[in-house]
Amino acid sequence: MLSNISPYFMKKQIRMLWFAILISITYTSEMMAQITNTQIKGFVDVLGSYQKEKGSFSLGEQDLFITSDLSDRVSFLGESVFKYSATSPTLFDVSIERIILKYNYKGNHNFLAGKHHTPLNYWNDTYHHGRVFFPTIFRPLMFNSGIIPLHTTGVSLQGLNLGKLKFGYDIMVGNGLGSNDVLDNNIYKSITAAFHIKPIDGLRIGASYYRDILSSNALSTHLHGGTVNQLSKSLTQELMTGSVAYFKGKYEFLSEGTIAINNTDSTGRAQSAIMYAYAGYRVKDKYIPYVRFDWSEFARNEIYFLKDNTTSYLIGFRYQINYLAVVKFEYEHSKSARAGMVDKYTAQFAIGF
Amino acid sequence: MMKNTYRNQLKNRLAKIVFLLVIIFLSTNISVLAQDKLGVIGNAKGVPTAMSEKELKTVMKGEKQRWGDGTKIVIALMKTNTPIGQNTSKRIYNMTGDELNRFWLALVFQGKTSAPTFFNSMNELESFVAQTPGAIGIVQHTSSNEGKLIAVDGKKDL
Repeated sequence: MLSNISPYFMKKQIRMLWFAILISITYTSEMMAQITNTQIKGFVDVLGSYQKEKGSFSLGEQDLFITSDLSDRVSFLGESVFKYSATSPTLFDVSIERIILKYNYKGNHNFLAGKHHTPLNYWNDTYHHGRVFFPTIFRPLMFNSGIIPLHTTGVSLQGLNLGKLKFGYDIMVGNGLGSNDVLDNNIYKSITAAFHIKPIDGLRIGASYYRDILSSNALSTHLHGGTVNQLSKSLTQELMTGSVAYFKGKYEFLSEGTIAINNTDSTGRAQSAIMYAYAGYRVKDKYIPYVRFDWSEFARNEIYFLKDNTTSYLIGFRYQINYLAVVKFEYEHSKSARAGMVDKYTAQFAIGF
Repeated sequence: MMKNTYRNQLKNRLAKIVFLLVIIFLSTNISVLAQDKLGVIGNAKGVPTAMSEKELKTVMKGEKQRWGDGTKIVIALMKTNTPIGQNTSKRIYNMTGDELNRFWLALVFQGKTSAPTFFNSMNELESFVAQTPGAIGIVQHTSSNEGKLIAVDGKKDL
């Protein structure tokens, strides 16, 4: 019977079958995207800089993020970054920055599981890797000095906009410093407790506490751009952070400070401090000149952080083309224990798509 | 005598023209005002039939995740490049359309709330709200949708 069917007819039937499969896959994907309210967005930036009589062009990060409402109560957020890495064979690395599964168990209260940006600071919990949102070109020194544990893999309870003061909280338990995304390196868990209020429109005041016990030989894989010393003994770390942010109308102000206490049996208590303050003024709808001040001071008996006391002044200008495109120009003068005095000019073009 | 009659006729004509111009001016402005008026519609499940303006703004800014009966709040808005969308940005959010887009992108990126659904036409928005439990949307206030509107501070228009 089959031998009676011509090869031409068979090929035509197969082509039609493939076409039907393709159509149904496309249709099902679109239907699923509509049902789950799935959104895919991204951010990317390119830079130009001039430092020590040398100009350079550079690529920033390409950030892709996906959000999806899987049901009435379950949602997902994923954020992956592609960026330059001198140690990678392809000279580019892909990193999972956030994978958060959220279960809204009651009202404005949520249970979250996955890899988070540790909700210690306003900056870390607000801008993530979306350079188009950053008020300045780069993160403040605070997030490049090894002090703030930027990521935590674990579980948390979160509350948002509660009561008249719009109180919010994050209580998180996770793999501590020195661990990775799939395995903790010791029996101790990191604990984060963060609280904030938003008493008036545009104003957010927050405070947070972080505690972890680091094992000897622990290298932190949870830090970005910051280097730390390898420990020869175990250490208890406590971080206390305060933040004030005001973004409303013409005025922009953001300041955060962290006191870090590292304690070992042999070296005792080492207390270091780091802070930054940012202020911007919207001259016109799209033009925002701004300034930022960064400062850090490390304890003499500090054994974990690199003791690189730094002071930095920055002046810049932001041109907000629209909500998905921004151009920034900055001049920064910094003085640090390791690099000495540095003057740097940078321009950035950041977009969302 | 002839001159007086001519003057009276001229006065009458001028008065009629002025009267007509006033009527045209008023009707234009009334229709513009009517176009400017916004209303709030909601799905039968979860969404209350009346609320305060403060509560409405809290809901529309994504600061509340569920209605009193536990139904998830779903926000429906006209796209900010439409006249109703621009009006909504200004009246409800006190923002420009661009600022509103940025506001939502930032909130969704932070994982704090779900993105609203944006529409090109009011019919699509009304149909979405009617079919989606917990959905609330901002529409243009017209005489045809008056009956469906939610009272905000006791009034059906914003």
